[in-house]
Amino acid sequence: MSRLPRWLRSGRVIAGLLVVGLILACALLAPLLAPHDPDEQNLLSTLLPASWQDGGDPAYWLGTDSLGRDVLSRLLFGARVAMTVALTASFGAMLIGAALAWLAGYLGGWTDWLIGRAVDVWMSFPPVILSLILMTGLGTGEQNVILAIILVDWTRFCRVLRAEVLVVARRDYVAAARLVGFSHWRTITREVVPATIPLLVTLLSLEMGIAVVVEAILSFVGLGVRPDQIAWGQAIADGREAIYQAPYSLLAPVAAIFITVAGFNLLGDGLRRTLDVRMVEGRE
Amino acid sequence: MPLLTALGRRLLVVVPILAVVSMLLFTALRILPVDPAAMSVPPNATKAEIEVARRQMGLDRPLPEQYGIWLGHVLRGDFGRSIHLRRPVTELIGESLPATIELAACAMLVAGVLGLAGGLLLFALRDRAMEAVAETGTTLLMSIPEFLWALLFIFVFGVLLQAMPFTGRIDPALRLPLVTGFLLLDALLVGRPDILVSALQHMVLPATALGIAFAPPIMRVLRASLLDVYHEDYITQARLRGLSPARVLLAHALRNAALPTLTLMGVQFGFLFGGSLLVEVIYSYPGMGNLMVDAVRNADLPVIQAVGLTYCVVVLAINSVVDGLYLVLNPRLRAR
Repeated sequence: MSRLPRWLRSGRVIAGLLVVGLILACALLAPLLAPHDPDEQNLLSTLLPASWQDGGDPAYWLGTDSLGRDVLSRLLFGARVAMTVALTASFGAMLIGAALAWLAGYLGGWTDWLIGRAVDVWMSFPPVILSLILMTGLGTGEQNVILAIILVDWTRFCRVLRAEVLVVARRDYVAAARLVGFSHWRTITREVVPATIPLLVTLLSLEMGIAVVVEAILSFVGLGVRPDQIAWGQAIADGREAIYQAPYSLLAPVAAIFITVAGFNLLGDGLRRTLDVRMVEGRE
Repeated sequence: MPLLTALGRRLLVVVPILAVVSMLLFTALRILPVDPAAMSVPPNATKAEIEVARRQMGLDRPLPEQYGIWLGHVLRGDFGRSIHLRRPVTELIGESLPATIELAACAMLVAGVLGLAGGLLLFALRDRAMEAVAETGTTLLMSIPEFLWALLFIFVFGVLLQAMPFTGRIDPALRLPLVTGFLLLDALLVGRPDILVSALQHMVLPATALGIAFAPPIMRVLRASLLDVYHEDYITQARLRGLSPARVLLAHALRNAALPTLTLMGVQFGFLFGGSLLVEVIYSYPGMGNLMVDAVRNADLPVIQAVGLTYCVVVLAINSVVDGLYLVLNPRLRAR
């Protein structure tokens, strides 16, 4: 009889954790794994195709980019920006969104109204447009990308979580906690927050995938990380120019983004199926 | 007239939102460390000339007053002049908005068709070992955002197969007949099949890239609603009456399962409209997305403000129409 918690027995969760763990390992071990210095330019061998293609060089597995830099090494180092942004931005968005959702759903009244209207205003901007406008104001840089994603995506948490808190706050045990003399603060932290954690974890995982995409989009249009930083979005912008000569300088970062996002989505989907009380009850 | 009251109520929500959005846009972009006055004069202008430009543009007045002036102009359809392109912003938007709406509408059509087909397929595969495969398949499909599809399509159909054009809206040798700005419509209006074909060819890749990214959630919701509907008594009765499975599915179940799917598609349309930005950039499609990205790169404040506001207006308009449609399609809501 396995004593593993239910969520760890889900194939999706395991697959997601493996993929995310692999990318995280690539990011952490990039200096050890990378066959070349990612910034080292070799202007004599620019835009090399992959090593198995005609004209490829075995020293550069996935070929080189327009400045003769190793595509594989830049891919590994690009994982650092992607994972940093994914982890910090989604946590930041979760903290703001969840805090406001707990307040709105629990307190109701004008607090709820105000927070609800703020979400309405935010949601009337397409997310890409809002983050572009924010990046215009903030300027490029990894920290600003993180800040922009937090400022755009807190609504994703707030909207979904508020509905959940509304349901939880009307449960009998919450009323009981108030009757026993719990303060509002204690009721929220001890009774309401724990009941919404499963949903929060699921949303967090999905948001990490979204953050990876947004960072890639911003870096692709040149409004993400600084130009001297290594990011997948920039690699795509560079590879797009060389699509005929060195296709892998485009395809490799595209694949990297897909694999990373798929990992987070599988994880989130698996968690949703195993942690959501209603889905579990409905199935058994 | 419940529809009219609902519409009125919707306006009461939309107008304040737009007011706040315009205020936020205006203040956020005024705090920027760029000086529109200095940017609007030639590089060799003196300090005094910059000051003259500043006074002419009203930038020496307090911020609320500046907002008032700007809003007054905007309400009369005047968004000012682009600092970078030196043309009226309203003109620029008038040229690019129809292009983006056309792309978004075609993409929504693709998303709807793929979503419907995929949803029915997933539903047909229920209760079989295939289900897990199909479910994981949609999760993986959802992991490919529209701009990755756009790049992959260029690589496969543009570069490897060389089957499709992938820049612009139309063959550069053809002349654009500008009637409405909606190219497909214009080509029909002036009776030019060659332009219609060229425009359609240029539309296929961007619209499919954008649409395919939004299809998987539609598949999922349609499948889930069909599963729900099949628990209802009227489905059992239809089956007992001896109707064929296809007839039960298409004539009875699909009609009742369509509502949640349509609602989702409405919400998706708003996101899809924003997602068109990247697809436009990748396909050099002359719409709002390219206008926005160029404006952001050049810190062209009047254009950024106007395009940001236009995106909001369109998204709110789409949401309002979806709400109205929901009311029309769901008689249960109308009774209230």
